[in-house]
Amino acid sequence: MAESKYVKSKIFFEEEFEEKLAEVPTDPKGPWPANDNLKIIGKPVSRIDGYDKVSGTAVYTFDINLPRMAQARILRSAVPHAKIKKIDTGKAESLPGVLGILSSNNAQEIKWFNTSSLFDTHLRYQGDEIACVVAESEAIALKALKLIKIEFDELPFTVDAKEAMGEKAPKIYDEGNIQGGKPFEYARGDVDKAFQEADAIVEDTFDTQVAIHNPTEVHCSVVNWDGDDLTVWDSTQAIYGVRDTVADALKMPASKVRIIKKYMGGGFGSKLECGKYTVMAALLARKIGRPVRIVVDRKEMNLAVGNRPNSVQKLKLAASKDGTLTAISHYSYGAIGGYEGGAGCSWPARQMYKCDNVKVEEYSVFTNTGPTRPFRAPGYPQGIFALDSAIDMLAEKIRMNPLEFRMKNNAEKHPMWNAPFTSKLLKEAYEQGAKAIGWDKRNNQPGADKGPVKKGMGMASQIWWGGGGPPSHAVLKLNRDGSARVIAGTQDLGTGTYTFMAQIVHEVLDIPMDKIEVILGDTAVGPYCPSSGGSTTAPSVSPAVRDAAENMKIKLLEAAAAQLESEKKNLVYVNGLISDTSNPEKKIDIPGLMGKMGEQTITTTGSREANPEGYITQTFGAQFAKVEVDTLTGKIKVNKIVAAHDIGRVLNRKTLDNQFHGGIMQGLSYALMEEQIVDINTGKVVNTNLHDYKIPIIADIPEIEVIIVSEADPMNSNTGVKGCGEPAIIPTAAAIANAVYNAIGVRIKSLPMTPDKVLMALNQA
Amino acid sequence: MKINLTVNHKNYSLQINSDLLLVDLLRDHIGLTGTKKGCEIGECGACTVIMNGKTVNSCLVLAVQADGAEITTIEGVANNGDLHPVQQAFLEHDAVHCGFCTPGMVLSAINLLNHNPNPTEFEIREAIAGNLCRCTGYQQIVEAIQSAADKSK
Amino acid sequence: MQFSYIQPTSIEEVFKLGSAAPLYAGGTDLIGLMKDDIIKTDKVINIKKLKGLDKIEDKGNKGIEIGPLVKIADLIENETIQEKCPLLVQTAKEIASPQLRNMGTVGGNICQRPRCWYYRGDFDCIRKGGDTCYAVGGENKYHCIIGGGPCFIVHPSDLAVALLALDAKIEITSENGQKTVPVNDFFILPEDDETKENILEPGEIVTKIILPEQAKGFKTTYIKFKERSSWDFAVVSVAAVLKTDGNMIKNGKLAFGGVAPHPWMEAEINQKLTGLNTDEASVDAFTSSLFHNAEPMEKNEYKVILARNLVKRIIDNLA
Repeated sequence: MAESKYVKSKIFFEEEFEEKLAEVPTDPKGPWPANDNLKIIGKPVSRIDGYDKVSGTAVYTFDINLPRMAQARILRSAVPHAKIKKIDTGKAESLPGVLGILSSNNAQEIKWFNTSSLFDTHLRYQGDEIACVVAESEAIALKALKLIKIEFDELPFTVDAKEAMGEKAPKIYDEGNIQGGKPFEYARGDVDKAFQEADAIVEDTFDTQVAIHNPTEVHCSVVNWDGDDLTVWDSTQAIYGVRDTVADALKMPASKVRIIKKYMGGGFGSKLECGKYTVMAALLARKIGRPVRIVVDRKEMNLAVGNRPNSVQKLKLAASKDGTLTAISHYSYGAIGGYEGGAGCSWPARQMYKCDNVKVEEYSVFTNTGPTRPFRAPGYPQGIFALDSAIDMLAEKIRMNPLEFRMKNNAEKHPMWNAPFTSKLLKEAYEQGAKAIGWDKRNNQPGADKGPVKKGMGMASQIWWGGGGPPSHAVLKLNRDGSARVIAGTQDLGTGTYTFMAQIVHEVLDIPMDKIEVILGDTAVGPYCPSSGGSTTAPSVSPAVRDAAENMKIKLLEAAAAQLESEKKNLVYVNGLISDTSNPEKKIDIPGLMGKMGEQTITTTGSREANPEGYITQTFGAQFAKVEVDTLTGKIKVNKIVAAHDIGRVLNRKTLDNQFHGGIMQGLSYALMEEQIVDINTGKVVNTNLHDYKIPIIADIPEIEVIIVSEADPMNSNTGVKGCGEPAIIPTAAAIANAVYNAIGVRIKSLPMTPDKVLMALNQA
Repeated sequence: MKINLTVNHKNYSLQINSDLLLVDLLRDHIGLTGTKKGCEIGECGACTVIMNGKTVNSCLVLAVQADGAEITTIEGVANNGDLHPVQQAFLEHDAVHCGFCTPGMVLSAINLLNHNPNPTEFEIREAIAGNLCRCTGYQQIVEAIQSAADKSK
Repeated sequence: MQFSYIQPTSIEEVFKLGSAAPLYAGGTDLIGLMKDDIIKTDKVINIKKLKGLDKIEDKGNKGIEIGPLVKIADLIENETIQEKCPLLVQTAKEIASPQLRNMGTVGGNICQRPRCWYYRGDFDCIRKGGDTCYAVGGENKYHCIIGGGPCFIVHPSDLAVALLALDAKIEITSENGQKTVPVNDFFILPEDDETKENILEPGEIVTKIILPEQAKGFKTTYIKFKERSSWDFAVVSVAAVLKTDGNMIKNGKLAFGGVAPHPWMEAEINQKLTGLNTDEASVDAFTSSLFHNAEPMEKNEYKVILARNLVKRIIDNLA
């Protein structure tokens, strides 16, 4: 029997289902037992790449230094909308130390976005690329950028989505500013009828801000040509995506493009796509015959590498007096910037709760601002903020506890397709989270607390796609001395991939952790794994690694049978020792067995099996927040967050807690402080540094308790992991907003909930 | 201009331009890339080093300022390959995620414990206030520093 | 940035250099301004080697003299200041981050340029010689509510607010001699000159910050309201120096940051403190009168409420 076969596999990624022809094992290994019965899986394990990071020896793309390496920087539009008439690079070119300049004057036409190119002469936002200079040093490159003379016609611009949708708005594209010319629409049931028959209706408008990922390591690439072969070190979450984009752009075979990412300083989605800067660097490196390093600095990142778009959401919900949610109407629009993207945020409205009547109309609107890019659970923090605020309003209207209301409207099957889940423990998350926060001690009367500092409690729900899927592969090599090397073309953003891969090999084969090397992030080495986004890495890669390890066990038993001259059916593998149950004298350990093979290594491959047909795999959860609001200053202080989630199996409890803490902090930041602000009169961003774009400092952290209510998904894969990167951030802002209402009796419907908004809302109340 | 400085107990005598920044001196001239650049204007702390016993943002220090100075970077913190207790604690408490902010964090923590071996949680939070982390929730970092302080008693 | 480095060994050399180049002390603001191209220069004058400017001296009844090159971290650690002027220690602890406090100086903190994002950003604003204040009708959430026009910055120095409440003086030296001015007269409003924040002319250097001997029996506090829990500039701040007698404030001073282009103190407000009863009604009446003549911009009306509430909190906490 062949080890693998091909199937058509559907996996949901970020916004839609993708179907791929995928190689999967013919014999998927059965599910693992519960973590309590496993040796290292689910336990708190220190990161195996931790030493490099704490000692300062980890080399990030930002640190790579090749002999004769030149430095490249990009010239960007200083205005929101313009058409370039002329680019004069003469003065810049004659600056000593400048090695080359690329712009629309001389660069080959390379398509980028649907209708644009690498160097478009139509500039659609402040930050849009105009030219790229490579020089002996960054300082010279930056000086040269200032010497490039641009003649351009400034065009009327619009930086506001509502204005951009209007008839009179300046057009960014001839076809108009609404992407696709029309909204995305969805409907089920009959909302109009449901509203007519409802016992209670709430209707309100919510808005959320543009947020920038701002990982600590800036975007950067180092490129080097060796003849026709191109190697790119990139700070990326998607080595294969970058490889394919670079190969297409340069019209070269993908086999001649190698992308390497060993360590990277965070991504959160901003590094899920190939950047223009990588292609520019490759072109310049080829031109000058030297390696090139290109950096997009913090200011440029705050303009041009993508964002979580804003949203304006009008929600109308209906319920019957027994607490049944009977209708949801969701209208929204958001700015997607100058190039195609997505501002949709209605997935939560469509699927979070059981509701027979749902209508969605959402607009993604072109504006002269930076483009969107997936940012940790795209669409969901904003969607849940609005939806779960409205749910609380509705529960209040029918005088029902919001926890009870959510429990009552928990969907047993997927509300959109009526399909069963592979696992769903949302009720358990509600129950355990509520108990941990002390939900029964919540204010019954919002704003009832005495004194200027008022306490409150709130909650929100979480849903997200889980389970990942094929294709995803791993290779395992066993060495003469019993040490192993496990290899996968996946990425570790700090998310703990290195460590769980080693853990799995140890779990299956008992090879000591310090004898396991993990290699990832290299397209030349592979094997293929999906990009690291959407919480798909652990659920896609862990089963492939386990498959490879189990296949190795089979091979070892075969080898041991030959070596010991035993019958395979009598051999057992326990704690790294293979013994013959029919003859206790016959036993051999792994190093001993490998020692019999000379210099051979044994190699096995593994793949992730297909997702079960007809089932949906999602993660679920609830977060509960305790806040205090200082009504004298408007400051919201989050005292505690309890996060209770169903994420399938936990592979590493230490890194899992870290992921949740980090995600919750980003959710808190989204709720309370971070926001990209564009000046409406000039169309320019006012806060392009890490001081004016506020992200939390250590003193901002609340107490965080993480409860995982799941054991393992029983159906989804041989490891039962559903993925946890995104669940953490989704409900936090909504939980905090609901807690704020509980504290002060005034609802803040706009994120971030900065002190000025709270003060003005209290003042007007 | 010529400057003399000590970095991680090693003496250097270097000819530099007056506008060179300390962070670039360390990374490009001496080759110690453990010190990172996150924002280049003193707002993230990724470039933190210890200079004459105090933490500074090396992206805002001119290299000429370091003439005659003693600098400790992350590479100088371990003792012949043995991790400093703070580094060890960071590993044990998983206070490291992507690791880009880690060198700066570790140095701020070490500097705190050098001056205040028994800090309260509040004092720990104050000492790390100039180091941004985007990945972790900081909690593990606080616990790691607390643990390193406890172990050193 | 590309510049050369001048290293004067005496203050007379600095005077002679005049407006040749900006002065480089801690560098925490200067380097940032140069990187952002707000200050364009081909040289800097390092004043850190000048003697005698980094001391703190207790002059008894003549007060305390603080050199401009004293680092913020050293100010906090100084025993004289801790004992005799805890307000200054409390204020200094609120500044920036530990790293920046280790590098930044007292003189630099007072002389720092505004943080207005139009000034610091790629906007040709009035303060930089252009003819538009982009905060007007723009993103003015953090801008001033009083004293503004034609530019609407707030002054970012925390120390300046405390020094104002402490009646401190600033000694300025140039080749023409020395003069000492009260803090209030050191700073200027945009209506006087919209391109600078203080009276310093080229060739003049701050050589001392003089704290008068602090009278006994006063309670002091500095509240810096920030959006982040630390390492953030003040949205609004208040320095208070108050003497109480039972349920009454005998007299005192309130100085405000984050409301005006320079640290703000009004004689009228301070007068109302004299004999102010600390019962809720009296305090509410008093705070409601604060900034009655403010002219908030479209997005910063909350600052009026915030300033009043911070004063209320200070008085309520006196008990």
